[in-house]
Amino acid sequence: MSFARAEPSPGPAATGGSGIAGWLGATAVVMLMVGAAVSVRLWVSSATDRLERPEAEKPKVAIADQAEVGYCTPRFKEVLERVLHSCGLAQDETRRGCKPADVKTFASISDADFNELFTPLKERGGVVLFDEGMDDLDEGATKLIEEKWFKRKGARYFFVVARASKSGNQAKNRALSHRRANSVMYHLTNIAKDPTIEKKVGLLWLGNEFAQLSQDYCGWSTSRPNEKCDDEAINRSAFVSWVDCRL
Amino acid sequence: MLSPSSKVPGVLALGGSLLGLLFAGYSTVDYASHLDRGLHDVHCSFIPGAPPTSEAEACRAAMYSPYSALFREAMWGGVPISLFAMGAFAFFGGFALYLLVAADRAPKRAVVFFSIVGLTPLLVSLLMLSISLTKLGHLCKTCVGIYVSSFVLASGGLLGLATLGGGIRPVLSALFPVAWLAALGVTTLMPAAVYAASVPDERPYLTKCGKLKQPQMTVGSPLKIRGTRAVRPAMFFEDPLCPTCRAFHERLLGEGVFERFDVDLVLFPLDNECNWMLDTPLHPGACIVSRAVLCGGDRTRQVLEWAYDEQIYLARAGKAGPNVLRAAIKQRWGAEMLTCVDDRKTDVLLNQHLHFASDNGIPVSTPQMYLGTQRVCDEDTDIGLRFALAELAPEVLK
Repeated sequence: MSFARAEPSPGPAATGGSGIAGWLGATAVVMLMVGAAVSVRLWVSSATDRLERPEAEKPKVAIADQAEVGYCTPRFKEVLERVLHSCGLAQDETRRGCKPADVKTFASISDADFNELFTPLKERGGVVLFDEGMDDLDEGATKLIEEKWFKRKGARYFFVVARASKSGNQAKNRALSHRRANSVMYHLTNIAKDPTIEKKVGLLWLGNEFAQLSQDYCGWSTSRPNEKCDDEAINRSAFVSWVDCRL
Repeated sequence: MLSPSSKVPGVLALGGSLLGLLFAGYSTVDYASHLDRGLHDVHCSFIPGAPPTSEAEACRAAMYSPYSALFREAMWGGVPISLFAMGAFAFFGGFALYLLVAADRAPKRAVVFFSIVGLTPLLVSLLMLSISLTKLGHLCKTCVGIYVSSFVLASGGLLGLATLGGGIRPVLSALFPVAWLAALGVTTLMPAAVYAASVPDERPYLTKCGKLKQPQMTVGSPLKIRGTRAVRPAMFFEDPLCPTCRAFHERLLGEGVFERFDVDLVLFPLDNECNWMLDTPLHPGACIVSRAVLCGGDRTRQVLEWAYDEQIYLARAGKAGPNVLRAAIKQRWGAEMLTCVDDRKTDVLLNQHLHFASDNGIPVSTPQMYLGTQRVCDEDTDIGLRFALAELAPEVLK
């Protein structure tokens, strides 16, 4: 910035001072502008570098998944997985459910150990009780099934483990426990209105051959809390529970 | 009347300009740092030199707002207006230095020119202040820093007029102000031009944030919120007590695009009362409020927007306990709504929403927006929203 004329003339010293100030101001404008532009360029370049060559991985974000709780021990999951695969839940297979021989073979586990696995489900599950030789659900049974089914939380699989008591022969009890499992499944299908229910519910029927329950299980949540429960009654049953394990 | 040789106007103008340059620089560096698509702390203090902080919601909201940048459809994030402020304050800083050094030898035209153009940052600041108060509802401290700087600068310029009373000053050609005006224009545009010329191409990154594995809910259904001029389906995962969701909702409304969407709303409360994916509640009470939204029926949008509008109060109620929250819901929506909130069917439906999230393996965070099966990245739902929409759903901007 220079000034060609002054009117009236402020004198040589004044004009010279103004000229220096002008140059100083112009230089400052240019320097500030260049400084701003260079800074902007550096900031953008730095961000571009980070974008194109990220140095560190982004902080990991949790991914939504089914629940996994404390009782999902490796042993529990191993048996669960074998049962799921073998009983047709894990793949698109037409075969559904596991009969006693299957469970014995695939679970590779003793009766006691098999039942022990389900112990942590005492609060989560319930025992649907049937009359002797019968497979129909009474009011208490449907109520218990619905109560348990609709408290799904984060679980992926629902298990129905049907049994029969010692009375009667093996074949008859096997068929009876199968029908009991199917009764529960039929009711679940009606209430759930879920087209994928087949991939959620694992059906096991054990007859009276495998993993019979002891009278201790009478203390679990049952569909007939006010009725007498003994070794026989507790095995005329279907145990139902969601299982909060990822597989 | 000030003495013709008074340094006060020059000192004020120079101080205001340099302070404005500093605050505008902070604002710009915050904006530019987000070009890497990461989440960064931002400067949000009245004190020059204060470090960036994560506690800067007002400044972040201002940065993400539609008023913080120009050309946001053409360029990811747009050109932040703070760049123009940087350029302008650079010019005013240099000019103020000139006037300060020249003092009573400064030509009258220069003093008058400066006093007039020195008002422009203040006028822009007043405009932005009114937008902050009326549209955003809060003030960003860095922005206030710029407003104050503009005021100081304008005061310095106007005080300069008070020095013109006596003394003899050089006379300049009338072309000088024209040249200065041109210089002001060039200086103002320069940082923005440099920025626009160097920003990275963000398009390749827009579609790299995952997809829905199964876009349809097999059991239950999402809530429907159809905009009044809906042209594009979209799926939102939201938590009614999540401040980021509220900000996202406000952004969509502010951008004028919410009405263009036919929204499938999936509720994803970050509260472990119903959401097993969390060990501790991030937003206590969010499950109950989500159930209220589910119970909204044909008033779903009203209930959701009520939850957003009253979020601070509801979040406090949620921390106080479920009964406090229930009372708030009953007070606003009646006893019938509360009966629905406590109904098992509502709980089951909310559980189905959460299972839909887990079946799709989406990140445990809210909000999330999906166009078709494509997830819109978080950074493209805030600073890059308009650009992302222009690329992925241009029809909503028409």
